Amino acid sequence: MKKLIKISLLAAVFGLAWLINGQTATAAGAEETFKFYCAQCHGLEGKGKGPNVTKDFPVTPRDFTNAKEMSKLSDNYIRGIIMDGGPSQSKSPLMPPWSKTILDVDVNGLIKHLRGLCKCKGKAG
Amino acid sequence: MRFILTTFAAIGLLGFVVGTVHADAGAGKAAFAAKKCTGCHYTDGPAKERNIADQLAKKGPELWYAGSKFQAAWLKGWLQDPKPIRHLAYNSLTKKNAGDHPKLSAGDAANVADFLMRKTTSEVKAGVIKPKKSLKGKKIFTKKMPCTGCHQSASKKGKVTGGFSGPTLVGVGKRLNPDWIYAYLKNPTHFKPFKAMPTFAGILKDKDLKKVAKHVSNLK
Ligand code: HEC
Ligand code: HEC
Ligand code: HEC
Repeated sequence: MKKLIKISLLAAVFGLAWLINGQTATAAGAEETFKFYCAQCHGLEGKGKGPNVTKDFPVTPRDFTNAKEMSKLSDNYIRGIIMDGGPSQSKSPLMPPWSKTILDVDVNGLIKHLRGLCKCKGKAG
Repeated sequence: MRFILTTFAAIGLLGFVVGTVHADAGAGKAAFAAKKCTGCHYTDGPAKERNIADQLAKKGPELWYAGSKFQAAWLKGWLQDPKPIRHLAYNSLTKKNAGDHPKLSAGDAANVADFLMRKTTSEVKAGVIKPKKSLKGKKIFTKKMPCTGCHQSASKKGKVTGGFSGPTLVGVGKRLNPDWIYAYLKNPTHFKPFKAMPTFAGILKDKDLKKVAKHVSNLK
């Protein structure tokens, strides 16, 4: 009996470790995607201060850690502007269209990543 | 007898001319290995990157299609005096390019350039793009699309502006093969399967990609 408890405990620990591992692997995927494609303008921390944002840059990319502003944006709006670029949402063309570069599933991850940065939920719609 | 002698002399002279004018690609390949260029650049295609991590692990740009991408004269000169092309260190968003790329002697540079110029890909078709003024191309580059957000370029008056995450496009007219620019815009993943630049093919029409390529290849 004791042995059985030991074995199931061990299995539980392994199972848990496996689960956590699996989860961090997908989360890292979204972070990697964000850092590779978006941080050039939005900054590694998402505060809108990437290396491209110099004094020549005519608009300031949104600070993604600003919960008040970010909660005004719906997830659908964010998906639209990522896929089709700034002009599709009457915003600056300096926000590129990514539809031919980033897969749908990775955009899901990016939206989650942005929600993690603002620690906020989007408005509905 | 006279005829035979002159023929021999002519062949000898020809051999001498060919030998001195044309650098030696075999010697270039050897120098490329001896100078440890292979530590940061791969020269055998097709593209090897399978994911973002593969791209980020690279210490320098891939050179397996260098002969389709660069202009020979520029390449030979740059290898002797490698001025920064990317403002930032390769694969970094925080560190500046230290400008410490290895330099080659004139002799080695000629041989290595000859070796690299033989690295071509049939994806690049010759004679499609002629560098020329294109108002539509310029409008797309500066206004409609975010190109200037990531790339530096110079205005007619020589004023340099633009972002830092992409290679500078100042002086492209001397550096890049116009046909490569179009081929890269049309099918970027053939060259760079994972790149921080968005793919514009399918967003811009083919004729507009050509116009942008025209404009970019004409940048001084
Ligand atoms: C070339 C620079 C650049 C890159 C790269 C870039 N963006 Fe943007 N982005 C901008 C700019 C500039 C704006 C602001 C546009 C405006 O306010 O008119 C913006 C706006 C946005 C907005 C809308 C914010 C709002 O308040 O409406 C979202 C969401 C966004 N970007 C997400 C992303 C994601 C995700 C990526 C990576 C896949 C990315 N961006 C890559 C420049 C960039
Ligand atoms: C320590 C790594 C390293 C070594 C060694 C190295 N390179 Fe590079 N190489 C780079 C980086 C990084 C760049 C980008 C430089 C820039 O943007 O200014 C580069 C750029 C180049 C380019 C231009 C490529 C492009 O797409 O812009 C050529 C050609 C080149 N190297 C050839 C060589 C040759 C030949 C040697 C050997 C003499 C060599 N490199 C050794 C890292 C290296
Ligand atoms: C979000 C930033 C970004 C935008 C927007 C962007 N680029 Fe790029 N571009 C890059 C990066 C980064 C590279 C280098 C990719 C690599 O080598 O992995 C690059 C490479 C290039 C090159 C090859 C340069 C070389 O020496 O290797 C050309 C040409 C180019 N881009 C043209 C354009 C044009 C034209 C546009 C607009 C239609 C554009 N880019 C928009 C980031 C960008």
